[in-house]
Amino acid sequence: MRRLQPRLALALTLCFALPLMMRADVDKAHEDKARYERTGGKMQCMCGCNQMLLKCNHVGCPVSPVMIRDLKVQLNAKTGDEEVLDWFRQNYGVTTVILPASHGFELTAWVVPPVVLALAVVLAGLIVVTWRKRMPQMAAAGDVAVDPKLESLRSRARQETEI
Amino acid sequence: MPLLGSFCLLFSLALALYCFVAGIISLVRRSPASARLGETARRAGLASFIAVSGSAFALVWAALNNDFSLAYIHAHTNRALPIAYKISALWSGQEGSLLFWAWLLAGYGFVLRWRHKVDQRLTAFSSVVLAGIQIFFLMLVNFSANPFGIMDRVAADGNGLNPLLQYPEMVIHPPMLYLGYVGLSVPFAFALGALIMKYPGEKWIHITRRWTMVAWLFLTCGIFLGAHWAYSVLGWGGYWAWDPVENASLLPWLSGTAFLHSVMMQEKRGMMKVWNIWLIFITFLLTIMGDFLTRSGIVASVHAFARSDIGAWFLVMMSVTLAVCVFFFVKNRDHLKSENSLESLVSRESSFMWNNVLLLAACFFVLWGTLFPVLTEWVKGHKITVGLPFFNYINVPIGLALLLLTGIGPLLAWRRTSWSSIRKNFSIPAGLSLLAFIALIAFGVRPWAETPHFSSVSEFLHFTQWLSFANSCALIAIPLATLVATTILLEFIRGGRVLQPKLETNVFGAMLHLTHRNTRRYGGYIAHLGVALIFIGLAGSAWDKENEQPLRVGEKMQIGQYTLVSQDETQDDNSNYTSFAAALEVQKNGKKIGNLYPEIRIFKASQQPDHMVAIRSNFKEDLYVIYAGRDEGEVPVIKAFIKPLVSWLWIGVIVVILGTGVALLPNAAPLKSTVPVPAAVAAQASAFEKQMEPVGASK
Repeated sequence: MRRLQPRLALALTLCFALPLMMRADVDKAHEDKARYERTGGKMQCMCGCNQMLLKCNHVGCPVSPVMIRDLKVQLNAKTGDEEVLDWFRQNYGVTTVILPASHGFELTAWVVPPVVLALAVVLAGLIVVTWRKRMPQMAAAGDVAVDPKLESLRSRARQETEI
Repeated sequence: MPLLGSFCLLFSLALALYCFVAGIISLVRRSPASARLGETARRAGLASFIAVSGSAFALVWAALNNDFSLAYIHAHTNRALPIAYKISALWSGQEGSLLFWAWLLAGYGFVLRWRHKVDQRLTAFSSVVLAGIQIFFLMLVNFSANPFGIMDRVAADGNGLNPLLQYPEMVIHPPMLYLGYVGLSVPFAFALGALIMKYPGEKWIHITRRWTMVAWLFLTCGIFLGAHWAYSVLGWGGYWAWDPVENASLLPWLSGTAFLHSVMMQEKRGMMKVWNIWLIFITFLLTIMGDFLTRSGIVASVHAFARSDIGAWFLVMMSVTLAVCVFFFVKNRDHLKSENSLESLVSRESSFMWNNVLLLAACFFVLWGTLFPVLTEWVKGHKITVGLPFFNYINVPIGLALLLLTGIGPLLAWRRTSWSSIRKNFSIPAGLSLLAFIALIAFGVRPWAETPHFSSVSEFLHFTQWLSFANSCALIAIPLATLVATTILLEFIRGGRVLQPKLETNVFGAMLHLTHRNTRRYGGYIAHLGVALIFIGLAGSAWDKENEQPLRVGEKMQIGQYTLVSQDETQDDNSNYTSFAAALEVQKNGKKIGNLYPEIRIFKASQQPDHMVAIRSNFKEDLYVIYAGRDEGEVPVIKAFIKPLVSWLWIGVIVVILGTGVALLPNAAPLKSTVPVPAAVAAQASAFEKQMEPVGASK
């Protein structure tokens, strides 16, 4: 285990250092395109097709070109993504944005999953602790001395019978 | 024929009621007379299948013979519809699909009751539970959603089938999904039956596991056939949109998957009995919840049936089922005490436990996201939309954690695993995984490349602004998939090498024999390999490209390395639809590699358009082309996507299905050892083997 630690540390350092070493130059146009795709990907076309705004695939859609034009205008006018989404909520209705807002009641949509996951992990941890506390008593009751020769048979049996 | 169908439906309800009531009486009163009554109940259950079959046959007959006096046939078929789609009309509408559900349920019940000699008393209990479920669905189709409703005036032709459903996969996808959904009623019936009768031992788990695996297999096939249909027909370039109806199918799949894993802890170590029984109960309740979501109109979905008042029935069913489960659990919970405890955090049991925590967390998150619009409507008075990005943000990290467990879990031993064993088993997979990670970065997968400047800590912490989510997930998923694939392959090789000298064959022959000897374990490994491939396919979506432009004959469009040259435009007309297609020559790096024919069909009965996507697929990527429509100048508009690694998704699904199929096969007889063993050691080994037997095997 001790010999493994330096190698593990080296591997982890490499994992984190490599991205920083290979940092790409800032490309404003690329950044704007990414922001456009990121924000546009959080909205749906309001023509009734139920498709994501940037994926609306029917030619002659009366709504999506207007929405996309508005999106470009708002992206230039506002710095935060959430502000842009709020503008669409106000002007096209709350169902435009397919992502709950990060404020007000809709924030609970974001908060509940990590809280539930944390609670589940804590609960599972508590169960494990309880089991492990109970274990010495059960082991003492059912402990059978096994011949050391049986160890190889034991590992083979485990290898071949486990599911 | 409609009259016969109606009569059969009513008769099957009477038979199910008899099976339920007489079954309960025979189980409560233990006498020779009640045994005979129980046998009549079983036969009534068998007969109910024949009666529902008659009803389903009558509906299909009406569809094939264009009997538009039936409202259902008028609404879902027309004269021009091909025969295969006329048959599929049975499950394409609300009423018909409920009849189809009732028919499949009766079919599963038929098999269960026919094989009653497996365990007569447990089957009798399960048969009663199943009859209870049958009564619910038969009441629905008799009194609330009868498919044999008559029209006031007979129309000359019908409305036709939804064009999106007129696709070969759609003939198989719903039956597969329904076989999965309905099949999960059987493990539920066994579990509840076993709980009610305080079934001794774990034999019911062995019986249930096979049924669950079969149902899970069908559900898996159904879900992925649906995904493939969405990919091939809807023309938006994706396969999973986290639509409420899609989510409804995923919920029982997730809890069923959790059960298939945790049940092994009960079989091997007598642990998690309460957990397992509730997993089955929850899985069944989620199938009913799926029905509720799909059929009540409570959530908006392109896949949902029309809004109806049928939802109340499902709410009542869920409430009654939950009450029955809670009642018998409270009454008989002493019977479900664990026989062992978790000995180490680094053990197979522990990995199963975390696997269950994650699967159930994912299940809850999907349910939460699906029902959140309903919740906002209650709280704020208006519905919001929760779509694809939310589900991806919440569930993809869980999926990656599960993938990590898929790689680690199988290499951990039961009870406890030593550090030396971990080092021995994991050094190669972990090394290869790290190599894959470095290779991906070297080949340009750098999610942080968009905005690598952070002028403040808060900018750094607001990582969604500078870190691409899809690219980050792909960068993690592919090394993890490598880890899973390597651990599995090494397990096969290691096992094969142990057997090779005894069998006097090559390592592949030995691996084949190994798989045949422990089908469940190695079938499971194959399924896990399929999961790793699926994740590779999903990761590819991070590098999608797309382009759209009007294309006259002779014009070109460029996407990635491909050039599409329009060769011709065609138009066709038949009794069912009018179609427009483009003939495109595909060139790669200036060299012709083939032709593609994207098409759009306008169905006459409904005037709805439908895309026939043209796909050129290889292991590296799919070139996905749709005929999007015609612009103002009547020029065809072509939309093209490059979808990297998608093929691996479908290959992965086939491998999962293959693995599950292998796991369902019976084991071959073990090899007989010819190595002489000292008598004392043999005696201890025999005692040890006894200790290693599945819990309850001797009971």
